[in-house]
Amino acid sequence: MTHMHIPDGILPVGLWVLGLIVMALAVGFSLFRLRGMDMIKKIPLLGAVSAVMLVAMSLEILPLFYHINLSVVAGILLGPALGFLAAFIANLILALMGHGGITVIGLNTLLLGSEAVLGHTLFYLFKNQLPVFWRAVTATVLTLFMTTVALIGIVAVSHIDPELISHGDEHVLIHKGQVSVQTFAIMVLSLGVIGWSIEAAITGAVVKFISQVKPDLLDHALHREKDGK
Amino acid sequence: MIDVARIDHWAASGLGPFHRASTPAKLLFLLFVVSSAVITRNPYPLMAGYGVLLAVAAASGLPWLKVMVLSWYAALFAILYAISLRGGGWLASLFIVKAITPSFAVLMLIVSTPYPRIFSLFSALLPEILAAGLFMTYRTLFILLDMMDSFAAAIRLRGGFSPGSLYKNSANISKGIGMLLVRAVERASRLYAVMVVRGYSGSMAEKGSIRFQREDWLPLGTGTAVLVLVLVWK
Repeated sequence: MTHMHIPDGILPVGLWVLGLIVMALAVGFSLFRLRGMDMIKKIPLLGAVSAVMLVAMSLEILPLFYHINLSVVAGILLGPALGFLAAFIANLILALMGHGGITVIGLNTLLLGSEAVLGHTLFYLFKNQLPVFWRAVTATVLTLFMTTVALIGIVAVSHIDPELISHGDEHVLIHKGQVSVQTFAIMVLSLGVIGWSIEAAITGAVVKFISQVKPDLLDHALHREKDGK
Repeated sequence: MIDVARIDHWAASGLGPFHRASTPAKLLFLLFVVSSAVITRNPYPLMAGYGVLLAVAAASGLPWLKVMVLSWYAALFAILYAISLRGGGWLASLFIVKAITPSFAVLMLIVSTPYPRIFSLFSALLPEILAAGLFMTYRTLFILLDMMDSFAAAIRLRGGFSPGSLYKNSANISKGIGMLLVRAVERASRLYAVMVVRGYSGSMAEKGSIRFQREDWLPLGTGTAVLVLVLVWK
């Protein structure tokens, strides 16, 4: 939902540089958290979930032409640290396919990665309170709402004065960005409800399917430490 | 839909001058073009730069027409963003050209460079888990795309796909993704176990080295030309 298809050269330099720095810190922290885990179990799981995210992103749901991200599924299956790394890998490969800019990898990873972290946290927060399908649905809707607000925040921050770009060119009709950010927010939040519903329904069904077919994936049994802790 | 398999075929099967250039040179070319898009405030030099890229792609035997069509995908969000800024036609054209020029350069890189070469270069720069994760993702992706094609064909043959029914499509897609996830984890675990048995110890067999060669004049020259255009033509 909150993967930005913003190409290079559009967002202000300070914003995407900050995005890259914060992403590097978050990736570093995730790697630090993963230092004791079993690589033989962890790397295939990371590769599999990242690849499924990429496949899901390439599937359009007709008639809406909407694509899902499965970032919450990644968070639920991989945990917050590994889920964040899956978001980074998916974004890097997407950027190398020309799907979203290279300079916005940082911001995109922060958005998708925070979906994985929040999704995981909320899913396990509702443990023993809701059936698995509704836990995943609730976690997805809340997560997507929060990251969509973050997306609107990024767009609001990036709404630079067009005059700065155009040197006051006479062909440019200059308006201040505030009104258009409101329009953007209304547009994204109202359309977002449809997107969140689809993503939540699919996430709920996928997580329920996994809980029935391979429940050990949900218990994180595949990526515990070598000594089985 | 991103046709990853076709991109991989172009990257592996081409023999043109751009294919023969080294990966570091092509990454530098990309860096020059992205920098040009970031610094420019005038659409015309970038339009000229896009023309240069188009000419080089066509002359090098790259699938320039398909690459051009794919690069325009990036324009969609740029148009929406320009509309939301209400900056007029000039700003919209600037944003569109800022979007499609780096996108074209990225596509030139990936249709002329097999993914393992790009990843092996990354493995020299990234921590082991990220480099191995990238490689495993890449390997698993193609297996999954094949499985997804079979799944989509099966769904269509059994009447499980109907363009008008969102509920039915979402339910079937969910089951397909769930099945895909379980199989992907099993296959990736098996693949990784085989790699470990064959001596994989956390590093790529082909380490990316930063070494330039004679054929690199084309990507380096093209990237420099685009950057110079932007710097000179303000």
